[in-house]
Amino acid sequence: MIKLYDYVLSVNCYKQRLMMSILDVEYETVPVDFFPGWEHKGEEFRKINPLGHIPVIDDDGYILWDAHAILVYLAAKYDPSGRWYPTGDPGLLGETASWMLFAEGTTNTASAARLCVNLGYDFDLEACQAGAHRLFRVLDEHLWFREREGRSWVCSGEHPTIADIALFPDVVLSEEGGISRLDYPALRRWTDRVKRIPGFEGMPGIFPASRGIEV
Amino acid sequence: MTTVASDPFTMWHPVASAHDVPHRHVYHGQLLGRELAVWRADDDYVNVWENRCLHRGVRLSIGSNDGTELRCQYHGWRYANRSAGCTYIPAHPADAPARTICNRTFPSVERYGLVWSGEEPVGEPPTIELLEAGTPFGLRNLPVHAPAELAIRHLQGHRFLPSGRLGAGPAASAGMSVEWADEYSVALTATDADTDNGSAGSASTAVFFVQPVDSGRSVIRAVLAETPAASEQLAVLRHHATELNGLVARIEAEAALLPAPEPMVPVLQQVPLHLAEVPEAPSGRQAALRVQVRRKWETAAGVAAFELAPIEGVLPTFQPGAHIDVHLPNGLVRQYSITNGPGETSYYRLGVKLEPDSTGGSVCLHKTVREGDVLAISEPRNNFPLRRDSMRTILLAGGIGITPLLAMAQALDRMSLPFELHCFAQSAEHTAFSDVLDGLGESVVRHLGLPPDETVAEIRRLVAAPDEFTHVYVCGPGPMLEAARREAADAGWPDDHVHFEYFKNTTEIDDSSTFEVALARSALTVTVPSGSTILEVLRESGVPLPSSCEQGACGTCVATVLEGEPDHQDVYLNDSDHEAGDRIMTCVSRALSDRLVLDL
Repeated sequence: MIKLYDYVLSVNCYKQRLMMSILDVEYETVPVDFFPGWEHKGEEFRKINPLGHIPVIDDDGYILWDAHAILVYLAAKYDPSGRWYPTGDPGLLGETASWMLFAEGTTNTASAARLCVNLGYDFDLEACQAGAHRLFRVLDEHLWFREREGRSWVCSGEHPTIADIALFPDVVLSEEGGISRLDYPALRRWTDRVKRIPGFEGMPGIFPASRGIEV
Repeated sequence: MTTVASDPFTMWHPVASAHDVPHRHVYHGQLLGRELAVWRADDDYVNVWENRCLHRGVRLSIGSNDGTELRCQYHGWRYANRSAGCTYIPAHPADAPARTICNRTFPSVERYGLVWSGEEPVGEPPTIELLEAGTPFGLRNLPVHAPAELAIRHLQGHRFLPSGRLGAGPAASAGMSVEWADEYSVALTATDADTDNGSAGSASTAVFFVQPVDSGRSVIRAVLAETPAASEQLAVLRHHATELNGLVARIEAEAALLPAPEPMVPVLQQVPLHLAEVPEAPSGRQAALRVQVRRKWETAAGVAAFELAPIEGVLPTFQPGAHIDVHLPNGLVRQYSITNGPGETSYYRLGVKLEPDSTGGSVCLHKTVREGDVLAISEPRNNFPLRRDSMRTILLAGGIGITPLLAMAQALDRMSLPFELHCFAQSAEHTAFSDVLDGLGESVVRHLGLPPDETVAEIRRLVAAPDEFTHVYVCGPGPMLEAARREAADAGWPDDHVHFEYFKNTTEIDDSSTFEVALARSALTVTVPSGSTILEVLRESGVPLPSSCEQGACGTCVATVLEGEPDHQDVYLNDSDHEAGDRIMTCVSRALSDRLVLDL
């Protein structure tokens, strides 16, 4: 069974739990005392990941770290439909990769702001917030046009991809980092849609959506 | 439109665009510093509310819109579509929330693909001839970190290409003219410079509304007067988004050089006077509302259904189990349960069975009252509240007793709480509101044409296994209620898990006693002689008390007993309540002791 080295309040660990919940993959968690113990920076944990960060998965001895890399692995291995990581469609695959890189940006701004506010990290909070607003503006316009095209997700396909999973936690918890989404209505609508994906699972700070209209 | 310096607080402003408020979503908006929660119910009404839950001030924009109600994420308080009245407080599952618990609402009108609202807007939202005559087409809105006046100034120099001429060159090449500009809107017409005739597509007009979000923030909401051909729409939207993005960058660059204005401080609603002061107790039967019979139809053999719509404004919020008094043209006052499901807030739907041997209430409604008639009714009152914290709910309906239980079943269904609704009726033709029942699927079980003994046997079977996680609600004719009461007690159900609503009190009232009633709060002592009720004597003494059925069935005239032994003659309170003796129905019950002290 997959072992996830996990911290319940980490957005990057949550991305893995969300993906595995949606793909209905069985896993167990190994809690890491991220705060206040800094266990991930300790000698013992560095034997698992020399970089000293979580999440890390151990899939029957296969070890992998970096949140967005793990998403690639999980979807490629455990989604038989091939839609979450669309290797069969070069165009869509390229878009997925592009938005995964964009998600590195939202993690390093929006989620970094959250670490400043919640856990007292010593980042430049104002710079993180301003950076998140710049990216959210772009993403909001992108998603607004997706809706006009009759699409619901970040990439242009009919089905969500790992890019939606990579972006969602950074966006939906932004207010914990002092980043209001008042100016991004399309982004807010997209978070409702992600919450309605079958198998969706939340984390502290994420509220469930109401039932959508059945069509 | 004319340019008159006006008070932004009495004007209509766009607060959202139609595409911002899809079903089952809550839009987070702001106007003049005040945050708004804007949501579309399944009946397409768009609610514009203050963005804070009455309870703890949590933002309602993070709440969930289930199509009929908005649920706060913090403690689960639910608020109804249109009225914003509180319909449920999970921490007090046994009680109906007071009717006065109501979120602050703002008017809302949809026009030109925009939702219009305002603090205290006067009249109607603006009528814009250009858009009335055209086929309005909403463009992408853009938030701007700048005061509205700066956005308006820049918009007058804005440039774009006519819809049919996007390939004609850069936007700078378009010929622009300002149709009008006032404090919060600008209309511009773009003409293709290369076109010397007035051929189709060579000119486009757009109206730009600027919503004053706060002193230093705005939203530009743009509407094209004519909808482009379907094949060109995306390109037109992209063109305008690009040009407006450029404009916004220039506006924000200028705003960044100006001193940042102080944010506006919205005046949060004061606690309304009627909540802050001890309310004047309503006396007697109140008929505060006037409604019109919007629809009357036969919902089953001998059962007329009525939809009562408000003559103006919004009907007060009801909760499942609530009833209203209907004041009939013949002078009688009768109680009827509201059968509506959650979110059906634009009317009250009643079901009335014709009882030819009755004293004239049902006959009057069946024979005299017609569509279009105006009736006086009371505000809804809920003496039969539904708990929504039990694992399972059993609803037992006998005949027209379906009416309050139908409202309950729809509420439970909407909240995905497990329930069974057992309908006992003579036949399918005698089953009222079959269409609504059909919509509730397999939770509804029909028991048709059972003789009395089999009805009792069936009730016995249904209540055979008491458990502390289940509540039972029963409404129907007297013999059925008595049977249910007996069977539930025999099976070992605790009294507080079985709830009854009687149509009427068939107990023969013994009013021969004479006793003294002392009112602890009013410092008044009166004597109730034989032949008079406590309620009557108190009213004559100037002590106001609300009442409704005045026969010991509805629970409205309840009073708390501090001392003395009541002589209960009502059917509203259950056996445990009667034994406890701490409450009394003042319309029928009396005293066994010489003296009663009431908390009045």
